[in-house]
Amino acid sequence: MSREATTDTVTLELITGTLRAAREEMEALIDRTAMSPFIREKKDFFTSFLNRDGKLVVSSSLTLSGNLVEGVFQHYPSQTMADGDLYIYNDAYGTGGGVSHLPDMVFLAPVFHDNKLFAFAESWGHLWDIGGTVPGSISPEATSTFQEGVLVPPVKVMAEGVLNEEVFRIFTRNSRFPDMMRGDLKALMAACHLGKRRLEDAMDRFGADAVEDAFEFMLAQSEQALRTEIERRVPDGTFGFRDYIDSDVVTDQSQSVHVSLAKSDGKISLDFSGSADQAEGPINFIMDDSVPKYMCGLYFTMHDPNIRMNAGFERAIDEIIKRPGSLVAPVEPAPIGLRTHTMIRVNSALFGAIAQATGGDASAASSVYVLYYLRSEDRATGRVDLCIEGLGVGFGARTYADGTDAVYYVAQKNYPLEFAEMEFGVEIEAFRIHADSGGPGRWRGGCGIIRDVRVLADDATLGVRLDNCKFPAFGVAGGQSGRPGRIIINPDGPEPYELKSMSDGNRLKKGDLIRVITPGGGGWGPPAERPAESVLDDVLDGFVSIESAYDDYGVVLSADGVSLDMDGTARRRSELNAPTGMFHRNQYFSGSTAESLDDEVAAE
Amino acid sequence: MASERILALDVGGTFTDVVLVDPASGSLTTAKEASTPGDPSLGFFAGVDKILGQTGVTAPEIAQLLHGATVATNAILENKGAKTGMLVTDGFKYLLEIGRAEVPRKENIYAWVKPKRPVPPRLIQEVPERIRLDGTVVKALSEEACRGAARRLAALDVEAVAVLFLHSYANAAHERRAGEILAEELPGVEIALSSDVLPIFREYERGMATALNASVQPLVGRYIRKLETEMDRRGFSAPLRVMKSNGGIFSPDQAARQSIHMALSGPAAGVRGAARVAELAGFPDLMTIDMGGTSADVCLIRNGEPSISKDSEIGPFPLSIPIIDIHTIGAGGGSIASVTEQGGMLVGPESAGADPGPACYGKGGDRPTVTDANLLLGRIPPHLLDGEVSIDPALSERAIEQHVARPLGIGTVAAARGILAIVNNNMVGALKVVSVEKGYDPAAFTLCAFGGAGPVHAGEIARLLGARRTLVPRHPGILCAIGLLAADLRYDFVRTRLQRAPDYDLAAMAETFDELMREATARLEAEGVTPDQRRFEPSADLRYARQGVEITVPWAAAEVSDAGVEGVIAEFHRLHNQLYTFADQEAPVEIVNLRVTATGLTDEVAMPRLDRVEPGTIAPADGERLVVFEEDVPMRVPTYRREALRAGQVIAGPGVVDQLDTTTLILPGQRCEIDEGGNFILTEEGDGP
Repeated sequence: MSREATTDTVTLELITGTLRAAREEMEALIDRTAMSPFIREKKDFFTSFLNRDGKLVVSSSLTLSGNLVEGVFQHYPSQTMADGDLYIYNDAYGTGGGVSHLPDMVFLAPVFHDNKLFAFAESWGHLWDIGGTVPGSISPEATSTFQEGVLVPPVKVMAEGVLNEEVFRIFTRNSRFPDMMRGDLKALMAACHLGKRRLEDAMDRFGADAVEDAFEFMLAQSEQALRTEIERRVPDGTFGFRDYIDSDVVTDQSQSVHVSLAKSDGKISLDFSGSADQAEGPINFIMDDSVPKYMCGLYFTMHDPNIRMNAGFERAIDEIIKRPGSLVAPVEPAPIGLRTHTMIRVNSALFGAIAQATGGDASAASSVYVLYYLRSEDRATGRVDLCIEGLGVGFGARTYADGTDAVYYVAQKNYPLEFAEMEFGVEIEAFRIHADSGGPGRWRGGCGIIRDVRVLADDATLGVRLDNCKFPAFGVAGGQSGRPGRIIINPDGPEPYELKSMSDGNRLKKGDLIRVITPGGGGWGPPAERPAESVLDDVLDGFVSIESAYDDYGVVLSADGVSLDMDGTARRRSELNAPTGMFHRNQYFSGSTAESLDDEVAAE
Repeated sequence: MASERILALDVGGTFTDVVLVDPASGSLTTAKEASTPGDPSLGFFAGVDKILGQTGVTAPEIAQLLHGATVATNAILENKGAKTGMLVTDGFKYLLEIGRAEVPRKENIYAWVKPKRPVPPRLIQEVPERIRLDGTVVKALSEEACRGAARRLAALDVEAVAVLFLHSYANAAHERRAGEILAEELPGVEIALSSDVLPIFREYERGMATALNASVQPLVGRYIRKLETEMDRRGFSAPLRVMKSNGGIFSPDQAARQSIHMALSGPAAGVRGAARVAELAGFPDLMTIDMGGTSADVCLIRNGEPSISKDSEIGPFPLSIPIIDIHTIGAGGGSIASVTEQGGMLVGPESAGADPGPACYGKGGDRPTVTDANLLLGRIPPHLLDGEVSIDPALSERAIEQHVARPLGIGTVAAARGILAIVNNNMVGALKVVSVEKGYDPAAFTLCAFGGAGPVHAGEIARLLGARRTLVPRHPGILCAIGLLAADLRYDFVRTRLQRAPDYDLAAMAETFDELMREATARLEAEGVTPDQRRFEPSADLRYARQGVEITVPWAAAEVSDAGVEGVIAEFHRLHNQLYTFADQEAPVEIVNLRVTATGLTDEVAMPRLDRVEPGTIAPADGERLVVFEEDVPMRVPTYRREALRAGQVIAGPGVVDQLDTTTLILPGQRCEIDEGGNFILTEEGDGP
């Protein structure tokens, strides 16, 4: 682009405000009209505007997708695109990780000015079932991405305003829940068209040149903010960290993500090539370069709500290195349905490296959110019942606040149980906080939850993804690791038994009770430095037991159980051992280099 | 009858507005008193004394006393409700704490801190009981456990208790019995049952409404009893009526029980007032914008009726009761303008408030605000309240120069214009949320601007929005009090009765409507509403099977027949298309909740009229000042005093009209007519009014 940016700041701000509002309007439309529980109650969707090169300009703050346009360009070069076209895809490998697993269906509408491609409006949502081996399409036991549902490569589903119904017909025919899918597709398509119209309105009002200047204005602000913060907070040097996923389900082996953060001469690079080889099970993550960059961007600029996630963050970090065939750069057809487990470890490994670099100025690790898949099929009637519930866990403590308790992820809601019971053929019998699961610390890690689910179907199979059991979320700066979760069938019955926490194909019968206990987040700072009053509050509200208050925090309660024994607390706290390393996972470790950390973990 | 006079008091954050109307003579008197947030009843009675003193009217001559109150709103927003306990179904102590388990969509995942709940887990007791979603009892209520829980709560000195049992919308028996036991064990403690507060499904939303209700009940109850005692002492015999968030009024007795319905008492009154004024002026379709010091409230009104929302929020919490659909943004006269480290420019939501206030107040605020921009550009006069307080444009200029113009490398006038452009754009965005986003074309609506800052910005907002007409009420500062005069008694009744296509159970729905009608009739009966003044509006919440959000559709005469159901479904398809740009005639439609809104009509209060002059007479200016519009060079613009203007007069823009509590800006190319109600009707030159 040779044109000089000439638009004044006020106009740039007007355009920024207008486009942000338009994107929120797209979200509101999806929110209110989608039909599958994933989108309508859980809110698993994303909308954005991208510039003509496919760079993200205005977007939701989810660090899950990649370059949303590049894969479409491979099939439809920009000069072949026309006004009124609409492109869709869910092909993660075929788009180089535009989306990172198959249920996420992308809608992309090119927007034109003077017959030239100007930008894109985009929406994607997580569809309930797109075929594949099991209802819900995602199976913890998948060994190939071809088992995870129908692949739709980038296709033009609408050409100059004319819809190709056949594409939708083929696609919906492959779903076990075609009505729901049609509803979701309508909602996503309507949102995409709405975004296109709003962007055109903005070009009419302000002029296309001004809108283009505003795009660059937004990118430049995010870039500059991130560069400034990194420069301010990260010293020169190389800092490594490795974090672990419990299991890939299929081989039941643990896998790891390693990152090496290197900064010198104002350049910063993130090298993931030390990560494990790609897994046989579905925890592989086609990690677009933007993912760790957006994580850094959101983390380092979190104090400033005016800085938003966009491709400006990508420009602030110079280099991402990945090794093909590794966990974060798998080769087709490695399965990818459970990529979140690796994505969350990309995040925690990154924070571990930042903690090394900054002497602890990073959040402790969060646990990976938990999902279970309860499926029953009646062969005689063909009826399929599918209950997929996402459950909250504990997030890592921050340098300035406790980790969030009982939280799933950004913008993703749990189901009201009065809704779940209406729709899923289950009864929820308890929903509690998992006490003591939050890692002890000056700032406590968030606690997980306990959910009791009674099976009402005659026969059902259960898949479950409950991570952080072997490798609980680590603590930082003297904070301790979160406590693991587990899953028990009929815990109060005569023969309770535990399930493998990452598994599928578990057979259940009518009346069985599933108790899912989710893990907590890591703590930050030495537990003995947590104000005794805060520990007492946690005891009174049931987040911390009296025993843990004594053992971990050195806080002694009076005999009445509702007030502090200050002398006893002082005595107990003098006995507590000081932290012996920057990090903690079941025990303190220094993690000064990647290798020594590996050794320490291997030694456990 | 000698005493038909009506007294209306709206207690706002800063001022308490009082209006006294004598319907016999058509006269209307107004007064303003400082609000007293510590004990709002002080400001209330100071206002009463002031207006009675002003008019010589005595307490026994008042036939009705209407009240808009912030007592519930402030308690919720500031987390200062009463110490509240809760009874929940065994196993669900942490329902409020866990909530919907999400980091809100607009938040940064690393920065978000979960807001503190109105009831902490330590005050929540679990009770064995269980009801299934169809209302059948799985496990009987353990009365013994209930009594034990009540005693434990008594020992914790709670002032209120909320009861939330699962699926109680389908069968309230357990909650009722628990309520009785609580009443026995905890005399004098306020009790709220979720099946009374919000009998619809989704336990977190219902539970939060119930917890918030309980936590403000003691405060509202005490406040209302205090008002009534004091009114008695002063010789008032008139009944007190309190403004609700749904735009209606209710009795003090109901206010003390259903206190959550007062959460948006004040803003709802303002919207109701705007609707009334505009209806009298002949404009039943309007968008309102109430712009004050720190925020702006916008709302859409169709055919005289404000839109109602059933899934809004108060502070960080969901509020799923019917309230007037008011969209609020952080844009007001006190909104601060700044330039970010990265060279971006912000206006609001940070506000200078009333203290220190805008830079021009000279009270120590040195950061530029929207008011400073208006002052520097001559759009408001260099004084407040008719000269009682001076404000200094030089301070505005210095603040704008230092914090905006210099960092951006532009002139102060351009910077001031930029501040206004950004804040106006934000308000246009808010107005689009309630109009364009709901499928309504702003060109078909009149923009009604009020609040201290609304009329200054209205002309530019109308142009940006494409609204063809703007109405500035005669008394933009006391619209809330006028709204109280216009409000009817209004109660909403609702029940979840999920009906899936195609097996709609007509008998069950008819029975539910009968039940709701009985409750509604009994309520109006109890309020002394005569049968000819009663109105009932049945409606239903519908959705496509599998959707998660319902649309409320009117159900004429609650005619539960095949034809009736078909009619409701047809209207649902139409509304879905209007709201969300598509409809799906093939998809099965579910009926989720049935509703009845009961209205007890109150007598219409006539508004005073202005003297008329020959229509089209040019209004006399009383001076001039320099005002900057689109160009950097100021224009010499005539100024007018609002009180001096008469019905029928016309002002051709540009012009500025000053009055006690606001200024109306008429842009070049706009034309302002004064109607018989004393309202300004602004149009673009060439368009008709």
